[in-house]
Amino acid sequence: MRKHAFVALLLSPWIIGFLAFQLVPMLLSLYYSFTHYDLISSPKWIGFSNYKFMFGIGGAQDPYYWTGVKNTLWIIAFGVPLRIATGMATAMLLTRPRRGTNVYRTLFFMPSIAPRVGAALVFVYLLNPIGPMSQLIDAVPGINSPLWFGDPQWAKPALLFIAVWGVGDAIVLYMAGLLNIPRQLYEAIAIEGANAWQRFRHVTLPMLTPVIFFSLIIGVIDGFQYFDQAYIASGPASGNRGLGDPQNSLLFYGIWLYEQAFRYFHMGYAAAMAWVMFVAIMICTAVLLLTSKRWVHYGGGGLS
Amino acid sequence: MKVHTRIRRWGGALLVLGATVAAAGCGGGGDSGGGGSSGPLKLDKTPVTITLRHPWTGDEKKIFEQTLQKFHVKYPWITVKTIGYPDPDTFDQQIVIKTINAGDPPDAFLSFGPDYVGQYCSSGLWQDLSSYMNRDNVSIDDFAKAAVTYTNFDGKQCALPSLTDSFGLYYNKDMFAKAGITAPPKTMTELMDDAKKLTVRNPDGSIKVAGFVPLQDWGQLGISDLARMWGAQWFDDSGKPAFATDPNWAAAMQWQKELVDWYGYDSIARFYQTYNGDEFSAQNAFETGKVAMMFDGEWRTAFIKREHPELNYGTAFVPAADSNPDLYGAARVGGTIVGIPKGSPHPDQAWLLVKFLSDDPAYLVPMANAVGNVPTTAASASSPDLALPPQFHTFIDVWNNPASSFAPPLTPTGAGYADLLGNFDNKWVAGKVSDLPSGLQTLDSDVENQLQLGEAP
Repeated sequence: MRKHAFVALLLSPWIIGFLAFQLVPMLLSLYYSFTHYDLISSPKWIGFSNYKFMFGIGGAQDPYYWTGVKNTLWIIAFGVPLRIATGMATAMLLTRPRRGTNVYRTLFFMPSIAPRVGAALVFVYLLNPIGPMSQLIDAVPGINSPLWFGDPQWAKPALLFIAVWGVGDAIVLYMAGLLNIPRQLYEAIAIEGANAWQRFRHVTLPMLTPVIFFSLIIGVIDGFQYFDQAYIASGPASGNRGLGDPQNSLLFYGIWLYEQAFRYFHMGYAAAMAWVMFVAIMICTAVLLLTSKRWVHYGGGGLS
Repeated sequence: MKVHTRIRRWGGALLVLGATVAAAGCGGGGDSGGGGSSGPLKLDKTPVTITLRHPWTGDEKKIFEQTLQKFHVKYPWITVKTIGYPDPDTFDQQIVIKTINAGDPPDAFLSFGPDYVGQYCSSGLWQDLSSYMNRDNVSIDDFAKAAVTYTNFDGKQCALPSLTDSFGLYYNKDMFAKAGITAPPKTMTELMDDAKKLTVRNPDGSIKVAGFVPLQDWGQLGISDLARMWGAQWFDDSGKPAFATDPNWAAAMQWQKELVDWYGYDSIARFYQTYNGDEFSAQNAFETGKVAMMFDGEWRTAFIKREHPELNYGTAFVPAADSNPDLYGAARVGGTIVGIPKGSPHPDQAWLLVKFLSDDPAYLVPMANAVGNVPTTAASASSPDLALPPQFHTFIDVWNNPASSFAPPLTPTGAGYADLLGNFDNKWVAGKVSDLPSGLQTLDSDVENQLQLGEAP
């Protein structure tokens, strides 16, 4: 008994913190999602009205809900694989022994230290129609630089630059994964006469699947919550002012949720949006976990 | 200075860019229990310290707090303690709501954003000042007629103006002379003609100098600033959004699109994207001669004086639609407000402060001189001590025009609904709206839904 009490005592800071700062707020937000709540008057129970408005069931619909969903799915569909591919490829280059490797490693990692907002502001400047990047593109005969954050077709692709530029955190993971692959596996497959592609396909890639899986899950969750860079790019730094400018192309789920909560003070509706996002993240994660059994290879046999 | 920009939520980012703007405002009052609502005026002169929360920062904060000393001279028993905002990027209204909800409001608030006054008045977050105003013979009519459009809601006068912003047309006199234009445009037809004459293109067809950029969110311009010159109303008599039912909206949008199409959407969009981010820097497109005419607030006169004193420019009223010449002289106005929050510990003393900040030339005149905002009372606007450039007088006249008003109109749920209009207009000028009337109908219902979402069941 005393042992249990001691354990409970040691755990108590975490338990108290969890209850006060996670569980209670979560339950409260679940409650708010069924209310009309504007921070001024006390919440009023309105049943499923917020959820109905979100999906347009039996009446009015939030005109931008699906815009936010589509933009968010786009950034997940393109951003996550792109970051995995570039992170892995860069890590493979950086793990080759050569002079100055540490310098390169530092250089590639550095961008991921930059605050996201700062990074976004820099890219807004680089991609301005008369900014350096656009001038570089314009210098190529016959090519006109796109308007990037001024053109709904190009605004999201422009955000991918920031995603790739800041891939340093993923590079570190892939490097750790690569350096953990036993040499003997490469020696064995070399004896079999494998070429570079086969070495990658049959040794490197399978051995990296746990890291890829981790990046995938974290990437998808981050993607659902995508906010900072888009908020800056759709803001006045790039000359934009409107909702997810240009023309809603940067109106991500998180941004619309934020606007609903902190600009319009529709706290109840924002809570409902947050819960739908939470459920979507849980489902995606569960699906990824289920499929992982088929393709993620744990060298040590995994947990099961 | 702090400018009340239409797009409040970007206030922070604008500051990042070195923006300064804003009118200070103060309002006050309150009729809570202790409020002196009746009987002969007898001031409690017990020494007391009251708190004022205000968002001024930097040099303007210094000037503001200096000028505030005059209050203590006038009422020696009251000491004012000022509190800034934890983060100048935070929306005013978040601070207002948080501190009042937490039961720890200051005695008085000064806020740059009138957008939420409808909410403050209807919810009682800010106290109705009427009883104090009656007692001290302060009337909202002492200010311009437009004052009521952003300080009063549902019959509750819960705020008062304290300096304001108003809007007009800036034009580059050298460019006008070169193009042979002798006077600023007075009608929308003239504005369009002049805009075309003043536009200069590069050899590749891109825009070197734009006569007038008619796009939503170009600087301070909104489609509603154009549409008001046709006489467009936001809501009909029954309170329903009137974008589809009031034909003036479509008329303004057609005018706007005609000019956009004359430039070519891609050209004008590129121009917009290139320069709009510099609105609040010394690289501002008007100040650096990239545009010949621009819709902007009175604060630009102070910016020009500081950043480009050599610029040869004039100011004029916003041109009116040819069909509605009476509206020439009116425009959007509205700026800093002051008020007394619910739960203010010293509402009676706070009222004296609110009165000082809204009504006393000893405060308004030096502050207007310092931050370049429009003085809000007749006495302060005619003060011989007012030292503002000649171009400034346009903005005092706009403030005093009876058809000027704050926009978007106050609602109990704030001003967010106006985003939907701007958003629609962006798509319209880009050619993404094939059927304007049906697009405007959808806009009407979207706005109505948005407003309903905010309304308590």
